[in-house]
Amino acid sequence: MRNNLELLAAILGGEFFSVKTIVNCTTACDYGWGVYSKVCFSQDHTSWLPSGSVFGPGVRQQRPWKNYAAAYPAFTAAYVATVSTDMLMFEADAAHYRLCSVLGHCCENIATVHLARHLPSGTMVAVKKFNLEKSKQEASLIQAKCCFQHEIILTRQLQHPNILPYHAAFVSGPEVIVVAPLMAFGSCKDLLSSHFTDGLPEAAIAFILRDVLQGLDYIHRKGYIHRAIRASHILVSSCGQACLSGLRYACQIVEHGRWQCSVHSFPHSTARNLNWLSPEVLEQNLHGYNEKSDLYSIGMTACELANGVVPFADVPTTLMLTEKVRGSAPQLLDQSTLQPLYDEDGGQQPALHVHHADSGVGDSVASNMMHLKTLQQRRFSQPFHQFAELCLQRDPTLRPSASQLLAHSFFKQCRQRHGDVSPTVPQLLHPVMPICEPRIDSQDDLASILVAERLAELEFEPEEWDF
Amino acid sequence: MDKEMTLDEGLRLDEEENNSGNFSDLEPVVWLNDDDTEVNMFFHRVDSDQIIYQTKKKKCKMIGKYVMGDLLGEGSYGKVKEMLDSETLCRRAVKILKKRKLRRIPNGEQNVQREIQLLKILKHKNVIGLVDVLCNEEKQKMYMVLEYCVGGLQDMLESTPKKKFPLWQAHGYFCQLVDGLEYLHSKGIIHKDIKPGNLLLTLDGALKISDLGVAEALNMFAEDDTCYTGQGSPAFQPPEIANGHDKFSGFKVDIWSSGVTLYNITTGLYPFEGENVYKLFENIGRGEFSIPSEIENPLRALLEGMLQKEPEKRLSLPQIRQHPWFTRKPPRTLEYVPVPPLRGDEFHTMTVLPYLMEYHYGDDSATTENHTEYITEHEINEERRLQELEVHGQAVTGGSMSRRGGGSGTKRRWRRPISCISVKKFPSCKQS
Repeated sequence: MRNNLELLAAILGGEFFSVKTIVNCTTACDYGWGVYSKVCFSQDHTSWLPSGSVFGPGVRQQRPWKNYAAAYPAFTAAYVATVSTDMLMFEADAAHYRLCSVLGHCCENIATVHLARHLPSGTMVAVKKFNLEKSKQEASLIQAKCCFQHEIILTRQLQHPNILPYHAAFVSGPEVIVVAPLMAFGSCKDLLSSHFTDGLPEAAIAFILRDVLQGLDYIHRKGYIHRAIRASHILVSSCGQACLSGLRYACQIVEHGRWQCSVHSFPHSTARNLNWLSPEVLEQNLHGYNEKSDLYSIGMTACELANGVVPFADVPTTLMLTEKVRGSAPQLLDQSTLQPLYDEDGGQQPALHVHHADSGVGDSVASNMMHLKTLQQRRFSQPFHQFAELCLQRDPTLRPSASQLLAHSFFKQCRQRHGDVSPTVPQLLHPVMPICEPRIDSQDDLASILVAERLAELEFEPEEWDF
Repeated sequence: MDKEMTLDEGLRLDEEENNSGNFSDLEPVVWLNDDDTEVNMFFHRVDSDQIIYQTKKKKCKMIGKYVMGDLLGEGSYGKVKEMLDSETLCRRAVKILKKRKLRRIPNGEQNVQREIQLLKILKHKNVIGLVDVLCNEEKQKMYMVLEYCVGGLQDMLESTPKKKFPLWQAHGYFCQLVDGLEYLHSKGIIHKDIKPGNLLLTLDGALKISDLGVAEALNMFAEDDTCYTGQGSPAFQPPEIANGHDKFSGFKVDIWSSGVTLYNITTGLYPFEGENVYKLFENIGRGEFSIPSEIENPLRALLEGMLQKEPEKRLSLPQIRQHPWFTRKPPRTLEYVPVPPLRGDEFHTMTVLPYLMEYHYGDDSATTENHTEYITEHEINEERRLQELEVHGQAVTGGSMSRRGGGSGTKRRWRRPISCISVKKFPSCKQS
């Protein structure tokens, strides 16, 4: 194996990889990674080989992998990627990243997200580790593995300021490690659960959704449907820029070289995304769905960001399904939408229950009333209501496309904010502070990480940090 | 005490047996004093307008976490129905196997056990996936939860006038069949019953090889693929089985039946026919067949190669892959054979939905207005008589269904909107 790898390095002429990096892929092969997939960037970051290209002579040309796989089976099992961003090289070597603390878990706890320092440059990054040995069931492991693989390949193919990039992805021992820029405000779900339990301010939502729609428009033009747009897949950087992540659920619109007018596959392991999915995705019939289903998810996410909780959060999944199929559209909760419901019910206890995490027995009714009061006092702009309504239409052909939505009057407030008076996203998110660099990277920290990892194995469920 | 009442020939109203037919939405009313243990041993004369039926509600039934839907098809082993995974909302199909029925089929129970064992190890995009197996000891039923498929090649062929696919469509299916078969053979499994009826299609058009009931797994230490028994469908059997050889190459059996399948889906005919199984086997045993003149050469050569009488001369899977007809896609024409509609629904909408609607909103409508309809035996007879008249007289075209028909697909209109974030505690569905 090693000989092959050295040969491979010789063929590549060291332009893309050092021998050392390639040695890593022996371990990668041991864990069955990257049988056919590899995305590699040239050092000037201008050209790359698409996923599925495989090592072999003439690797710098783009060729379909099948030819290579047939001709050079020994070389097909390689998976390495190194890439430079902003003049920085992020090496595919675990020793170059010192873990500082655990930010959260994702992917049903198979993966952990760490705050880490990239030692050569001193920058802070987010490191996601998938432990392939941790998973208990083989079936779920295989599925998860395919998921990560798909996500990494796709992420490396897409390049857009509003899509979370990966600096590096490599294998180290039993773990697959992904290095991504640190998104200091965390996910929008974090923002909702840490401080904005009743929802984010409308201006912040406008900025965030505009960024997300720009990323989504790009994804659609590249021929993909995201299928998992939700607050936890929207990450906010320290300067307030929102990035879309969670590409592992995405699917291609192009099949056999043709742009399909509809797609029929039902996303795997999607149980946690069901509330955001459009009725036509859930219906799974021969009508199929297209990229417009992502815009329904945008509408759901808009409600989630505004209300603090996703619509149908408390409802059994089957009822959520029938409700969506019958065309009931969720709304942003404010004066205009809450008042009539409350009046109709008169003296009765309101049917609305906003806080799904609320488990208090005695005070739940009282606290609900409090929540209702605060929700009833606020008012979202008319364009925002329209925006959500447009997205949440039952008929996908009536929903505007991502690029059309970017011209919606809801985003006027983003454009007007050129003057110094208007607040920026970080200001709007006050008092939530971005994750800052830890003062000392000491051995104590390392010890605490180990403890944290052990704790994580005890199946706690900390906040979701899904990126 | 059983709720069913057997009345006369066509009117056995079993909820499972009666998914098609005019009166499928009718169910006998439960008699008030039905639980009398004193069964009257004498026949009573009952006037036909005194037997009352109630329109059958789509009553939601759960098997484990799955919600039961309508019938998709029926095989020799039992029914196949649609189900919905209530956790992932993924559509599924379920093969319901009744122990009682299985015992009557030779090797029935053994075949089912083997199929389950095989499907558990198999995972390929062109082989049907087994999702779950549930048992109900009390009812002596077994449920095999499978990936959902919208239809099979056989039904699609039968929906067309010439019983064949355009070449490009057949090519797409054949390539997937070869992919799936290659996988099965790589796992040492011989399907032995490849035919259009066992090739199903998912919503996204992927072909799934299904029904591994008569498949054979080679011993891991077996030197070659020698088999001793064949129990597939006669028309698809190779000459070595038709001639009664006691041992033969297993892989080549699948090649032959794939060849017959390809012949069938491209011409609409069978290479070998016979009035009965003996005549059929005689013809197959001779191995002489003709290919319609409209089939041109690369395909003609491929069919001839796959339908070689001598197993040694028959093409192997790698040879098929290299074949000019396989490697080159026929030009795509406009004609396309779609999956035929299921009970009039060309889009194959989830059949679980009406049951869920009934479950989630049914109670509301029952209290707001009296929805249940009562129909007497007399009325049914009357209606049937009218229908017969209509059929004979051909006076009315279309819409000849009963006046209260509406079909099972009609959704109840909803009145009160349910707040999308309300908490409503639902009693867990009744486990069966």
